Amino acid sequence: MTAVLETDNLCKRYGDVTALDHVSLAVEEGALFGLLGPNGSGKTTMIRLLTGQIRPSGGSARVLGLDAAREGIRVRERVGIIPEQESPPSFLTAMEYLEFVGTIRKVHDIEERAEKWFDLLEFGDKKHVLCKDLSRGTRQKLMFAQAFIHEPSVALIDEPLINLDPIMQDVVKEFLKGYVKSERTVFLSTHSLEVAEEICSSFAILHRGRLLHSGSVSGLMEAGEHLPEFFLSLVRRGRDA
Amino acid sequence: MPELFWRMMKEEWRIHSTMFGQISFALFPVMIFGIVWMSAFLLPMLHASLPQVDLAFLAYAIFLSLGFMVGGFGLLGNEMMNRRFGQASLLVYSARSLPLSERFIFANFVIKDTVYYLLLWVFPFCFGYIAASPFTGASLQKALLLLPTLALSFISGLCTIFLLSTLYVRSKAACWAAILAVSLSLGYMVVLNGSNPALNFPPYMLYMNFSWGAFIVACLMLAALFSLSLLLFSPEQGVTTKQYRGLLRPLIHRFRRLPNPPLTAKDFVDLHRSGIGIGQAIFSFLLPLIAIFLFLSLIDPYLPAHGFFILFSLITGVVASTMYTWVTEFDSFGAYACLPVATSTLIQSKVTTFAILQAIPAVFIAAAAFLTGEGAFALPAIVFCLSSSFFGAGVMAYLCGLSPGVLIYNVNVLFTYLVVNGAVFAILSALSFANPLFASISVVLLVPALLFVERAMSRWDSVDPIGF
Ligand SMILES: Nc1ncnc2c1ncn2[C@@H]1O[C@H](COP(=O)(O)OP(=O)(O)O)[C@@H](O)[C@H]1O
Ligand SMILES: [Mg+2]
Repeated sequence: MTAVLETDNLCKRYGDVTALDHVSLAVEEGALFGLLGPNGSGKTTMIRLLTGQIRPSGGSARVLGLDAAREGIRVRERVGIIPEQESPPSFLTAMEYLEFVGTIRKVHDIEERAEKWFDLLEFGDKKHVLCKDLSRGTRQKLMFAQAFIHEPSVALIDEPLINLDPIMQDVVKEFLKGYVKSERTVFLSTHSLEVAEEICSSFAILHRGRLLHSGSVSGLMEAGEHLPEFFLSLVRRGRDA
Repeated sequence: MPELFWRMMKEEWRIHSTMFGQISFALFPVMIFGIVWMSAFLLPMLHASLPQVDLAFLAYAIFLSLGFMVGGFGLLGNEMMNRRFGQASLLVYSARSLPLSERFIFANFVIKDTVYYLLLWVFPFCFGYIAASPFTGASLQKALLLLPTLALSFISGLCTIFLLSTLYVRSKAACWAAILAVSLSLGYMVVLNGSNPALNFPPYMLYMNFSWGAFIVACLMLAALFSLSLLLFSPEQGVTTKQYRGLLRPLIHRFRRLPNPPLTAKDFVDLHRSGIGIGQAIFSFLLPLIAIFLFLSLIDPYLPAHGFFILFSLITGVVASTMYTWVTEFDSFGAYACLPVATSTLIQSKVTTFAILQAIPAVFIAAAAFLTGEGAFALPAIVFCLSSSFFGAGVMAYLCGLSPGVLIYNVNVLFTYLVVNGAVFAILSALSFANPLFASISVVLLVPALLFVERAMSRWDSVDPIGF
């Protein structure tokens, strides 16, 4: 197995805040990997570093063999990203936004692909509505489509399920499970332990910027543990330490 | 009620001070004070060559225009607040979670912004002049009068545009009707009385001849304008299903020969659909320049032949250079963060959009040249205007990258910006006063302008984007 995402002693400081503290992690090809942690533990920072949106204060990150800090644009060409809580541009329609992303990503049959996504995510008559007039959930769905429209071999998605109703959450979870079947990798950041336990193949736990654990979900199950309890006991121990 | 206001004041302070340090932000008004204090010592020299005029009216023109330029609150409403600092959770979004109306929150936001402008720009300016008056021989009493009247001048500009911009959002026809009514009454003044409306600008009249009664009436009128604008403000309706025809694709095709067709196309869709394009062109370009024109024409008789028009083209260029902030301030970098788009590419695309928008000042100066009988100098004037505009925008792009609206409050940035532009423009206007045809020499500014943009691209690629 080859690691498609790798960090080596990755650090990020914002002024005196240490958002990530010497994190070394590897994610294998074909994994549906869950990065778990309480709010403020550094998940979003991790995704931004892996995709070269920000520069590390120390250590390195490699994605698909590329150095994320130096070759950020090439990394972002090859992966798909759902940023945290970001909305699509207010004054484009949903369709135009996918056309915009498709043109930048040089996807040729963008219109057909967009239609497929609108069907899957049940856009109905919202295709030609301005993004600012869409509900939060619909905007989140659009951000989801945007990340996968070019069928990237790696997708890094930050809390993709918030704002989605249970039915849509299910559609998205099924999609993700299917997506990784063909040697593609998904790096999912979430604080929802149930979701992680349900769909992830491997996971890591961040707490206050430090890596507390990484391993496979099946390994955990075999040891008779459940992810939510395991996570809570680890984080509580970390907090008391 | 003041609770929310103070929290917003603190929030604004924190946003700026975390971005470039408490000290740097706190020094901003100190620097404005210092610059004005020092410049005040040049006034006696200017007075020597223009003995008949009180140059104070220039300050009124500047602050009236500043008010015009920042007053377009109604244009974007929530959207403007949304974009200023990206989608961080600011207090202005709290309408849905707090038992407060959107209008109330918006009112607090606008007042907060106004107070900041007064504290950062208007008051330090006045205090600088007041502090210098004992040394420059200016009348202290007159200097003190600047404080309330310049503030009035700024707030008049702000309230006028606030009202027009809310009208614009409600009904474009009503906005045009209001602009027409104001222009007609100004035109009436010019034609019938032969007097320059600038001389009848209430804050300036108050400065020339102060009375408490008139001052209070002026304040009440502005308060009325402000309340009317707030009443007319329509909060975002939330979820609508209005359908739009696709504009992006044809524009991408039209811009296919430019460096970044989809980015430039998106800018134009934004400018068009948000109303920022036309709105800003009227409120932040056309109206301020008309006001400056009227005020500046007061010194026309004392300037060298054609000097007035050449100076006006330079000022138009400086105002046009702020179009770079139109295309950057109303867009957030976050929207591009998930795409393979480098900061440098974005800067390049914003400069491209800026360049296309320069058709506006070009047409404006051409029209002004023919209307004022300066047609013979239209060409050098257009060259002067556009070159200064590109130069100013290049410096801005270098100093502030994609965040001019925020970083300009960093003292180092503003100081460098003023010194570089001031030096270059002073030399060029001196040359052009000698002979208006020399204004064409300014075309050489395009070279440093391009260099600044190039340096901006490499400089801003090597740091984390602001707000990340
Ligand atoms: N741009 C920034 N400036 C300063 N601090 C930041 C910035 N971004 C994140 N942080 C801090 O870094 C820590 C990790 O944040 P984040 O990566 O967003 O965590 P998570 O996504 O797990 O909630 C938090 O303490 C947060 O306040
Ligand atoms: Mg996060």
